[in-house]
Amino acid sequence: MATPPTRQSLLHLYSSMLRTSQSFSSYNFRQYFVRRTKSTFREIQNETDPAKLSAFYDEKTKELAALKRSAIVNQLYGGWRLVVEDQKPSKEKSNS
Amino acid sequence: MLSRVSSKAGKTVGRSALRSSVARLAVKESRRNIVQPSGADRASVVDVPSTYQEDNMLGFKLEMPRREGSVSEKARPIYLDMQATTPVDPRVLDAMLPYFTDQYGNPHSRTHAYGWEAEKAVEDARKHVADLIGADPKDIIFTSGATETNNMAIKGVARFHKDRKKHIITTQTEHKCVLDSCRKLQEEGFDVTYLPVQKNGIINLEDLEAAIRSDTSLVSIMTVNNETGVIQPMKEIGEIVRKHRGVYLHTDAAQAAGKIPLDVNELNVDLMSISGHKIYGPKGIGAAYVRRRPRVRLEPIMSGGGQERGLRSGTLPSTLVVGLGEAARLAKLEMARDHAHIKQLSDRLINGINAKVNHVVRNGDVDGYPGCVNLSFAYVEGESLLMALKDIALSSGSACTSASLEPSYVLRALGAAEDMAHSSLRFGMGRFTTEAEVDYVVEKIVAVVQRLRDMSPLWEMVQEGIDINAIDWAQH
Repeated sequence: MATPPTRQSLLHLYSSMLRTSQSFSSYNFRQYFVRRTKSTFREIQNETDPAKLSAFYDEKTKELAALKRSAIVNQLYGGWRLVVEDQKPSKEKSNS
Repeated sequence: MLSRVSSKAGKTVGRSALRSSVARLAVKESRRNIVQPSGADRASVVDVPSTYQEDNMLGFKLEMPRREGSVSEKARPIYLDMQATTPVDPRVLDAMLPYFTDQYGNPHSRTHAYGWEAEKAVEDARKHVADLIGADPKDIIFTSGATETNNMAIKGVARFHKDRKKHIITTQTEHKCVLDSCRKLQEEGFDVTYLPVQKNGIINLEDLEAAIRSDTSLVSIMTVNNETGVIQPMKEIGEIVRKHRGVYLHTDAAQAAGKIPLDVNELNVDLMSISGHKIYGPKGIGAAYVRRRPRVRLEPIMSGGGQERGLRSGTLPSTLVVGLGEAARLAKLEMARDHAHIKQLSDRLINGINAKVNHVVRNGDVDGYPGCVNLSFAYVEGESLLMALKDIALSSGSACTSASLEPSYVLRALGAAEDMAHSSLRFGMGRFTTEAEVDYVVEKIVAVVQRLRDMSPLWEMVQEGIDINAIDWAQH
């Protein structure tokens, strides 16, 4: 029986997943993964069963690795911003 | 600083006259140091020669990659056409990439490790697809997409049993590839019944029962309609078809798999079509479910090496198969979450539009798949609405027919009047659609519909209380 992950390690995993999700350059993917990370971790918030927590931790660690790779690929080929996003401020020509 | 002042003065007086003295002054009096860079005004800027053309640099074509951060920055429209295709989920792409790079083996090669690893990946993918629809992995056959699967199932079953059975049943609202396969079979001498649908898009089960004859070999009815989102009662249909021995049931589940729960054994379906790019997978891959017990026999369209139980010869595209498998796995995993999200978005869209625009009709059953909302805006022409909505990627019907201006045959089959069928828009929401996008779309639609109606003489007449259908148009 593996020891369940500590609350701290879960929180750490949560913050890395959120950070990785935020790093997607496509608006829709970024929003989706942020939303999904928040809701999956909220579901497990009050879970006390150590077996379930371990399984969750293992699964999410694997997912984090895939997410990190996906985010890099997405940044490489990231497109323009969508019309609903804040557009980049138009660059004014700086004098000197 | 003196240089700048004097050069400005020089500009006003006359450049050429003063240039030499200014230059001398600048060199002498302003000692440049590291904190004082020279301004752009000191550069000798000359006009381009009159022969210069913007798009032609000395005969070389300059093709700049149009990417983010480039000069011609532009905002992307919102994608609301998830019935046409869906974006590839980044996790799916991540699963596919190894097979695009290092693991390039042929899954049918049995003699080396490259083949074995590709074969294992294909079998894992087969398992994921089978799990999604509650089937056995051995029942799954990979094809190039739902169109090929539909062709294979309909033509295959009909041709295999052509000696004794000559009758096929389908509906009027099927996808083009089903209808066209049936038309082809009609040319070959088969008899096809196209069942009508009720006003809400659902077939009448008594009609179906009455249409089954002793020489019927196949019933083909789609689970979720691609234009209206209507869900057919497949369970009841399956029960009816199962009562008649020797009649097979095929369902086109391209829009249904991964979006609503499906179980081939519960539905009594013998053949099923699945498409990869409708479930956030890659394009160019699909799957067929062909039941083995009791065995469904069909004549293969492709002849060749006998891969995929001999039903679909040709090397499997292991990369795409892996993508479909991962997409199916994710679809099963995320189905409840996606469905709740899409339902919420769909309600938000419908309520938002209904609150501000009147004379809007929802086509098809209200209990259909929420990710496909087909709305008709009366007194507005659908194509002009699409043209005005530049910032939103929408469609008035299926992508296959979006090039023609003909009204949708699906809406006509539902009994929609010609003008309503012309003014329809299909909103397709999916996993990656956000609330902010839906709000933006509602705002735009409301504004554009109002503007187009203000221009429309028909709308004016309606406001004055003239019944448009009572007008005799041919009196000029």
